[in-house]
Amino acid sequence: MRQELTEYDFIWSVNNLLSTAAKTAKGTPKEYKALLKRIPHFSDLIDSMIGLGEPGVVFLESFAEYTDMILTAKAQGKKTCFTTFCQSPVILHAMGVVPLVLEVLTVAGTLIRKSAIGEFMDYCLEAGFTETSCSSQRGSMGAYLAGLAEKPDFVLIDTPGICDTNANSFAFAAAHFDIPFYQLNYPPTIDDERAIEYHRKDFKHMISFLEEQTGKKLNVERLREIMLEMQRQDEMVCELQDLQRLIPNPVPGIYNLFIYAIRFTLAGLPACTRMIEVMLKKAKENAKANRAGTSSGKEEKRALFVYIDHYSANLPLFNFLDQHNISHLGGILDRYYQDDAFYKGSTSYKTETQTLDAMIDSLARQNAHLPMVKQIRGPYDSPEMWLEEIKRLAEMLNPDMTIYSGTPGCRNTWGMVKLLVNDLEKTGYPTHIINSDAFDDRVESWEATAHRLQEFLDLRGFN
Amino acid sequence: MDPIFNEAAIKIQNSSLLEYKEKGGRVIGYVCSHVPEEVIAAADMLPFRLRGIEIKSTAIGDSYFGPFLCSCPKALLQNAGEGRFSFLDGAIMVQACDSMRRLDECWRKAGKDFPGSLPDFFHYFAVPHKVTDYSVQFFAEEIEKLAKAIEGHFKVSITEQKLDEAIETYNTTRDLLVQLEALRHRDSPPLTGSEAMAIVLAGTAMPKSDYNKLLEATIEDLKKQRAKTHAGKPRILLAGSVVDDLTLIDAIEAEGAVVVADTVCFGARAYAGHVEKGGSRWETLARRYLNEQFCPRMFGYSNERYELILQKFKDSKADGIVFQNIRFCDLHGSENGLFNKRLDKAGIPNTRIEREYGELADEGRVRMRINAFLETLGRGKSAA
Repeated sequence: MRQELTEYDFIWSVNNLLSTAAKTAKGTPKEYKALLKRIPHFSDLIDSMIGLGEPGVVFLESFAEYTDMILTAKAQGKKTCFTTFCQSPVILHAMGVVPLVLEVLTVAGTLIRKSAIGEFMDYCLEAGFTETSCSSQRGSMGAYLAGLAEKPDFVLIDTPGICDTNANSFAFAAAHFDIPFYQLNYPPTIDDERAIEYHRKDFKHMISFLEEQTGKKLNVERLREIMLEMQRQDEMVCELQDLQRLIPNPVPGIYNLFIYAIRFTLAGLPACTRMIEVMLKKAKENAKANRAGTSSGKEEKRALFVYIDHYSANLPLFNFLDQHNISHLGGILDRYYQDDAFYKGSTSYKTETQTLDAMIDSLARQNAHLPMVKQIRGPYDSPEMWLEEIKRLAEMLNPDMTIYSGTPGCRNTWGMVKLLVNDLEKTGYPTHIINSDAFDDRVESWEATAHRLQEFLDLRGFN
Repeated sequence: MDPIFNEAAIKIQNSSLLEYKEKGGRVIGYVCSHVPEEVIAAADMLPFRLRGIEIKSTAIGDSYFGPFLCSCPKALLQNAGEGRFSFLDGAIMVQACDSMRRLDECWRKAGKDFPGSLPDFFHYFAVPHKVTDYSVQFFAEEIEKLAKAIEGHFKVSITEQKLDEAIETYNTTRDLLVQLEALRHRDSPPLTGSEAMAIVLAGTAMPKSDYNKLLEATIEDLKKQRAKTHAGKPRILLAGSVVDDLTLIDAIEAEGAVVVADTVCFGARAYAGHVEKGGSRWETLARRYLNEQFCPRMFGYSNERYELILQKFKDSKADGIVFQNIRFCDLHGSENGLFNKRLDKAGIPNTRIEREYGELADEGRVRMRINAFLETLGRGKSAA
């Protein structure tokens, strides 16, 4: 690893850059322009974020707040835990545990440390990890394994039964650091009594684990407070996503990334509420003016992402869509199955806070409906799994095309994505598979990815 | 050694299987060590562990699976498409690992394109990833569900008595295979690792009643053997991803070593532990088959698996450990990496190899790696 990468704590670098970037919006235009010249590596990204107005600035501030929580956890007597992007952080916040969401931190790394995150990924191999594993964990995990961020106290994940490569990364990290490990494990069905009972028991078992790790009993009032805040956030997310059904879609594509980055780190906390509020406000303004969420305000085509996005430096996928006036209709990472969600189908969760048992049941049910945990736990064509969900979303969102983007490490979706694409094409949705690595543009450069995406648009008559 | 062992090890449609079918026997295929064979046997059917041997390409598999997948389920699908599994009356799919779990959908889709390749009975079997009281309970229910599905589809009855008989038979097989392994631990093993693996593999592909008799006789013969054929050779413990063909072990032994033990799927996992007698049959089966030492798909138990490897290493008096993983098998690949570092610290010689599943397309490379490893032990062909 290059010497320069080992000189600063990884989380501190992210925090420092984002919090400083957020402050640039407070300068005069002249000051701002002068600053951009002095940060050539980050100027495009910062300019894109600041250019989004209040939501961009609030996102930078919120993410800075999250990384600040990580940096100050130990000083505040809080435990930290490695966790994953499809685990609700609500219970962790209620227990005073700071979640280290590896995938979100990897994305932060790709955005602010051009090429550096690749070296962190490679460091994992030095520690004995496989190169074929998912890059979404390998990026930030490499920084931790290399001692460039403070070692976590334990690991808590919810991907066994959902995604082997994800669960395996965390199991590897727990073994490497010799720290406690807890897994929420999911059966292949979601809504039958056996599955519900299994979720419930597993979640209760997890609370005992957290109590053991923190040395504290669960504070029921604190949990209720956080859940009520999350309920408010859920309602606003549902409202925001409902707006995506409008033609033109008034919600800027980048908001999808903001929603899940904030949701999986700060759900239940005021910073998350503020972030969603400003996005909703802007989207409503767009809707009122009949403007699309693209920079031009125009919508020429609509794309539904059936899995995740692409996160190279400077977020080129979002820029590509924006430049082509293509509305981003969201992806798997934005689907949470709240009872108010327009796409909920036959299954959803409600936030219940009357009693502790009701809260636990509600959280267990919520967790069982989070991205991937819901869609890819069973055969892709079983009820409420991936295919049914996408078809339902497509009917309600009117996309012109559907797009799969993932990582080569995603064994579970690559095992069935060809079948899924065939089914979607037969249903009438032109579908493109992005073959690159969403977190590592050394696998396929963004330019090559963009070329293929452009070719798809050309061949299918979208230009 | 009875030639049927070798035949069943290298040929899917072996003569014992065909004879069984000719007599009207029914066969259910399965894909993972966590499937309780006793349930199938108690329905008077033959549990047959599916393998991807004999294929010459994975063209069919590649048409359904994506590119970044383990070649094992692709090879299985290839065999299904090419008709090598035409004798199956049923198949049990398992969410064993993410590559294998998708064989369910890919096979169902391929069944439409290759008529007759999909058995009528096609069951999805869920296996938890942890061992707790409630996961064992869930798994017991899943086993009962499987039994009911077999009963319903084939119009048979799986009684407690039949289950007890099957448990008895399969426990006997395990006892015999443990005895066979003990023979391999001798200073002068009476058989090679390849011969031993052929015997174990045959047990997954022929009726157990015949198999146990042959196995017992073979063990008696081997016990008497006193020739020092394999004495003095470097002794290897094989660990990692699934091994269901002989060529990998042949490659190791062709370099002058002898494989004296393993912890791999199809190998030692096939006979680890007993099913207890009495109590709820579903629960006793669940306790044996939900074994955290089987496979890294059981997340968070790497210490337990490490201890198993150390114990095997000690018991077998091995000189070194060969860890191998099939490309894209991150579960074994990364655990191999963890163990590699821990064993290095403990001063136990070991090496890591990545390979493709099947009949060793990259035999030369694997042999070169093995040769180099044996040299580090000071025991290889070239070191001699």
